[in-house]
Amino acid sequence: MQKFLPSLVMAALSVALTGCLPSEQQDEKVLINKNPYPSTYKALPLQTTLIKNATVLTGTGSRMDNADVLMVDGKISKIGINLVADGALEIDANGKWITPGIIDVHSHLGVYPSPAVEAHSDGNEMSSPNTSEVWAEHSIWPQDPGFEAARAGGITTLQILPGSANLFGGRGVTLRNVPSHTMQGMKFPDAPYGLKMACGENPKRVYGARKILPSTRMGNMAGYRMAWSHATEYKRAWEKYDADYAAGKNPTAPERDIELDTLKGVLDGEILIHNHCYKAEEMAMMIDLGKEFNYHSGTFHHAIEAYKVADTLAENGNCAAMWPDWWGFKMEAYDMVHENVAIVDAVKNSCAVVHSDSANTIQRLNQEAGKVMYRANENGFEIAPELAITWITVNAAKSLGLEDKTGSLETGKNADVVIWNQNPFSVYAQAEQVFVDGAKVYDRFDEKYQAKSDFLLGQR
Amino acid sequence: MKHFKLFKSSLIALALASSTASFAESFAITNATVHTVTQQGVLENATVVVENGKVIAINPDTIKADIIIDAEGKILTPGLIGSMNQLGLVEVGAVSRSRDASDEKADITFDTSLAFNPRSTVIPYSRKGGITSNVVAPRGGDDMFKGQTFIADLSGRFDSVRISNNSVVIDLGAQSKGSRALALQKLAVTFEDAAKKLVKAKDTKDKKDKKEAKEPSREEQVINTLLAGEKPLVAYADRATDLLALLKLKDQFALDMVFVGAADAVLIADKIADAKVPVVMTALDNLPGSFDSLHASLENAALLTNAGVTVALTVNGDTHNLYQLRFHAGNAIANGLSRDAALASVTANVAQAFNIDSGTIKLGGTADLVLWSADPFELSTKVSQMWIAGKEYSTQSRQDALRDRYTTKSDMPKAYVK
Repeated sequence: MQKFLPSLVMAALSVALTGCLPSEQQDEKVLINKNPYPSTYKALPLQTTLIKNATVLTGTGSRMDNADVLMVDGKISKIGINLVADGALEIDANGKWITPGIIDVHSHLGVYPSPAVEAHSDGNEMSSPNTSEVWAEHSIWPQDPGFEAARAGGITTLQILPGSANLFGGRGVTLRNVPSHTMQGMKFPDAPYGLKMACGENPKRVYGARKILPSTRMGNMAGYRMAWSHATEYKRAWEKYDADYAAGKNPTAPERDIELDTLKGVLDGEILIHNHCYKAEEMAMMIDLGKEFNYHSGTFHHAIEAYKVADTLAENGNCAAMWPDWWGFKMEAYDMVHENVAIVDAVKNSCAVVHSDSANTIQRLNQEAGKVMYRANENGFEIAPELAITWITVNAAKSLGLEDKTGSLETGKNADVVIWNQNPFSVYAQAEQVFVDGAKVYDRFDEKYQAKSDFLLGQR
Repeated sequence: MKHFKLFKSSLIALALASSTASFAESFAITNATVHTVTQQGVLENATVVVENGKVIAINPDTIKADIIIDAEGKILTPGLIGSMNQLGLVEVGAVSRSRDASDEKADITFDTSLAFNPRSTVIPYSRKGGITSNVVAPRGGDDMFKGQTFIADLSGRFDSVRISNNSVVIDLGAQSKGSRALALQKLAVTFEDAAKKLVKAKDTKDKKDKKEAKEPSREEQVINTLLAGEKPLVAYADRATDLLALLKLKDQFALDMVFVGAADAVLIADKIADAKVPVVMTALDNLPGSFDSLHASLENAALLTNAGVTVALTVNGDTHNLYQLRFHAGNAIANGLSRDAALASVTANVAQAFNIDSGTIKLGGTADLVLWSADPFELSTKVSQMWIAGKEYSTQSRQDALRDRYTTKSDMPKAYVK
């Protein structure tokens, strides 16, 4: 903590100059390291690359035909017609389609990996209804072969969340989908953390069976409110400590609480809410809950009934992450409609996202979005591919707080790019080449760019 | 709201859904691209005539029918056949009192056709995928035999169970407690003992010594139907060693057998092809979910088919996803399966594995038919019309009613929009 001494001296000086002498000697300021497991991710070897003559879905809602995409130093440099770049590696993508790298906001890869053996079941700390203290990143097994399979499906960024048994499941982490033998090697630099919350049937079933709160939906709400009330006190205690210290006093720092650190992070606007929440009436209450305790209620995941509250979601700036067609596995998933995503998307200022929650469908988020587009268009919507792509790119980036870095093909953004063999919303579409930060991480036709996890090496 | 136009028309369509079923005695579908999934292959500009639930003519010289339906060149295929799911047995997965697929006391005689609910909302929804009939499988209980499958069509009628107890389901392979060896041993012993008893019973009969003749138990009677080759033993197993052990039993007792799952089947594809054991598998399983399934791959459907194995595709996981079957077949095509083989894998091959009169368009066959707006496997395609045993059914479901309710503008609460 030596490095903080000069500012302490300054603080003492300024106090002295205003003529108000510090009443006591100040102890060293207690500071909390908010990034104790920092990213060590570095882009893979890259070169200036010019992809020529493709149909480009930019992720900003537009489509460009016979267009070129230039990637320089890991960033999108230019998109246009007949681009020229000296010394660039040129890829002829005539007849192919280009999209931003696909983003899945809801994955359990690494925490519920393949093989699904007991020793790997690390996705849900089901020992208390509030486990805000756990961080999904501490459970990630980077050798999950699911990361490779997802990469072959064009996934370049994904959020790994804890499971949904608890009211507060813990922190989620956003990863670059690059091979690494450490979690830190995959961690998306400077991405905000997420906090997993869960509405509805899961928490009340898991803890109701143990005869502890919650065993009802009102118990769920009580559990959230009590936790946010504690977190509010905790935040106030730290703010008082900071203020008193700044005033030259020598306050005693509040006792550190790892669980409340996470909730405070939400109240401070640094951690984003990712809320497993299926039903319309519950989403409406979770939005009010956020207002009651002064935080933003974030993204609703598995929002089966989002179409019933599409206006409310847009008015309050909530994203809804949805499946195209999963339903019926539990009561709160009974009211699925195929057009859910489209109905949410149709409202001004909406944020409709298609997510997977599956090691299997994460490999085909393009098809998942396609199913929505076609079913909606059969029923009165007019959705073009350039709009549908936003559900799995820029809107997902927005949900993760990364829209300034990835999710669309715009000059200066990270060069996360997928080259598809055809329109990505075809059942026959396949990602041929995938780039993360301008570096090729996957090539369907070149084994050199087909990573293999340690687990499968030597046995398949 | 941007990007959307009108909805009233589909509301009316839903209201009329029950009355759109064709009650004509006979009808002809003309000008269709008919995928027969038989030796006849694909017939262009073809006519299929249906009467009393059967196909009575293909490309007749003169068309005699009460109704003519011009297919305008669209593709007509056999209705798709789902398999190894709990259609009509589970309304909502996590609602215990809506589940009838399992019972811890279930044994080899477990007949879930008695619990089949043709009014399940999953049935009209699944018709959106062009599914006209289905092999419903019990999940069973503690016993390695999970019970028996039955065939139901997706008409939603109270008489939609077509065949009950048409195959016996067994679950083998990795065990959470104990060893897979014991189940394989028990299975072998079960067949050995039953075969010996049959020989003994025959001897007894020959001697006309009726005192010693003893009626076999209900369980033994089921085993005897397997030994007689009257129905298949449908075995869930993934690891190659388990599949080989089953092939040995098949050989020893001349069993009719079907594999389900079979992630490692590619390691012994030739042996499975030689034994003529159909494989019911999921085209989209490609992760090593366990040490039994290290060889799961998107290419497996193509690899097995190319090796001569009869492949039937199924949708794994929740039965509510059954409608996606055609998309699974499409993905199999993207990963190397031929288009014809893909169609067979969701029609004729399922019918062959489970002895069902469906899955092909042939003279005298059940008229389970689907007319598609375009390529049946493509995401953008929908069912134009479909017939189950010669009657037309709608693909409208509760989901359409919900969509229409919430996309219809009204000053009153949505509950008044019906």
